[in-house]
Amino acid sequence: MLLLIFSTGLLPASPAHAEKRVPAVTMMVTPDTLLVGDRIHCTIQITNPDQEVASVVWGDGVDSLSVRTFELVSSKHISSSLLHGQSREKFELELAAFGTGQQFLPPFTVALHDSKGNITKKIVYKPSTTVFVRALTDSTMRDLRPVKPPLKPPIPLLLIMPLILGVFGVGGLVLLLLFMLKRVVRKSAEKVDSGQVAQRKLRKLGSNLSAGMPPHECYEELSNIMRSFLESHYRIRALEAVTQEIERDLKKLGVAGFESIMNLLKQADLVKFADIRPDVEESRQSLHKASEVIRSTRYFRPPDQPVQAEEPQ
Amino acid sequence: MQLAVELEELGTRIIDASKFLEHAEEELSQRIIGQRDVIRRVFIAMLVNGHILLEGVPGLAKTLIVSTFAAAMNLKFQRIQFTPDMLPADLVGTMIYNPKEMEFYPRKGPVFANVILADEINRSPAKVQSALLEAMQERQVTIGSQTFPLQEPFMVLATQNPIEHEGTYMLPEAQVDRFMMKVIVDYPSYDEELEIMLRSATNASKAPVKAVVQSGDIFQARGLIDRIYVDPRVQRYIVDLVVATRVPAQYGMPELAAMIEYGASPRASIFLLLASKAHAFLQHRPYITPEDVKAIVYDTLRHRIRPGYEAEAENIKPSDIIRQILQHVQVP
Repeated sequence: MLLLIFSTGLLPASPAHAEKRVPAVTMMVTPDTLLVGDRIHCTIQITNPDQEVASVVWGDGVDSLSVRTFELVSSKHISSSLLHGQSREKFELELAAFGTGQQFLPPFTVALHDSKGNITKKIVYKPSTTVFVRALTDSTMRDLRPVKPPLKPPIPLLLIMPLILGVFGVGGLVLLLLFMLKRVVRKSAEKVDSGQVAQRKLRKLGSNLSAGMPPHECYEELSNIMRSFLESHYRIRALEAVTQEIERDLKKLGVAGFESIMNLLKQADLVKFADIRPDVEESRQSLHKASEVIRSTRYFRPPDQPVQAEEPQ
Repeated sequence: MQLAVELEELGTRIIDASKFLEHAEEELSQRIIGQRDVIRRVFIAMLVNGHILLEGVPGLAKTLIVSTFAAAMNLKFQRIQFTPDMLPADLVGTMIYNPKEMEFYPRKGPVFANVILADEINRSPAKVQSALLEAMQERQVTIGSQTFPLQEPFMVLATQNPIEHEGTYMLPEAQVDRFMMKVIVDYPSYDEELEIMLRSATNASKAPVKAVVQSGDIFQARGLIDRIYVDPRVQRYIVDLVVATRVPAQYGMPELAAMIEYGASPRASIFLLLASKAHAFLQHRPYITPEDVKAIVYDTLRHRIRPGYEAEAENIKPSDIIRQILQHVQVP
């Protein structure tokens, strides 16, 4: 839409304009063309030579019940003093247009007040300024109205950015700490020698045997110690595996003392499953053998990957 | 370390009593190349009065294994080809009218034999399947108003084709449960295939199978199997494996709970124990070890576990479930 700012000199409609020292009134209206319902901005500037206070009464004399062509939406008043005893009043009015076609702006009244607030003079102005108000036709309704730019967020992103970065930083730090903690725990767990653990358990078992533990129970415990040791030392599945499966896995690895390990496990199986009742001396010998076997495997380097057991289908 | 005197003596008797199986195995190996595991499963089922469901694609010598086994064992063999138009009377027999004597007399069907090969059991309707499965369970058949006990040993080996399901009647779970084992018959190895080809691609007639076993041998073996020692630890291990199929979460496998629609029945525990005993017998051992249980657990449980919707969606088979269970249940 073509935007025009124009200024016009206004003449008083009443005979008062013939008197001396009449205030100079100028009016600017923008835009000159608009759609029904849109708003125009009207600036009325009054330069008063007598240092009197001026006010503007809009739409004076118009029937309030009739549909007005222009409706006052808001107004703003700025007052300033000039040289030579003059004063300037500026009224910024916002009017909504409702008529269609070429429309004259409605008349308004400039009232002058003395220092006590009494109206000393009233001058009615009929502006010659016109605006063209376009009706909402099919074609105009299809036109896209100019879209206003998006509202800026109340809190600028730059202000909250440090907070976001801070949260991410703390989170990252926590994750790093957890990772480091896990590594430390894993390394300390790896440092625990499975052979030492097994030897300690065997010693305890030996003392339990001396304290009167039944030999067949001793073999059951011996089998568990051996299986736990094999599982952690050779990284094979031993606790959920039967002796044959352990034999197969150890054979694959080619471990030292294979025969002795299998003898011990098979002896334990006989005690556990074939109802054999060994004596205390036999149990002691088996514990001693187990201890020797574990000692002999000290220098065996366990495989990097756990040995996968082959299951029958 | 020495076995207890009783077990020592039982072990010696087992070695003697299991010789007939070695002879039978030798005789079978003259005719059948490979399939050693299948033959062993058939022996196990025969030793503990069980029945077997054989599953495998056509041409894997399922019928040959069964017929040769029956001949070597000196047992009466009947092959029944199940078809959609079959009636229960075609299986168990019917009453025939004798006009001369003016009365009905029973005519026994093919089920009256020692070894029955129910070929493609899933091709016949449910009522025929039920008639056979009833005979398997009760070991007797009723024709008209007369009940006839079936001859011992009585063993059914049913086959079904896993790849062809059109026009078949799937066996209901309750009926599948009556089979002691479901044995998967797999393809032979390369070398076995080569030998099969060279031996079979001839017009010369094959020598008849020699009967190397007397029925008394089987009954004697069955008596010894009953005496095989089962330690309470192994008993609990068997029950643990079966219960783990029902409540896997209790055994540290919560992820399996959604994979199993329902687990194995108590019949599974019974058959697992019996089959383990027979396996120990074949190993000439008078006691069971967890090795025996693990050796036959797949065959005993695979048809008793019904995988759930999630398992089917992820193509997880009962064998995979059993493998997971074996990896989680601690061996005694």
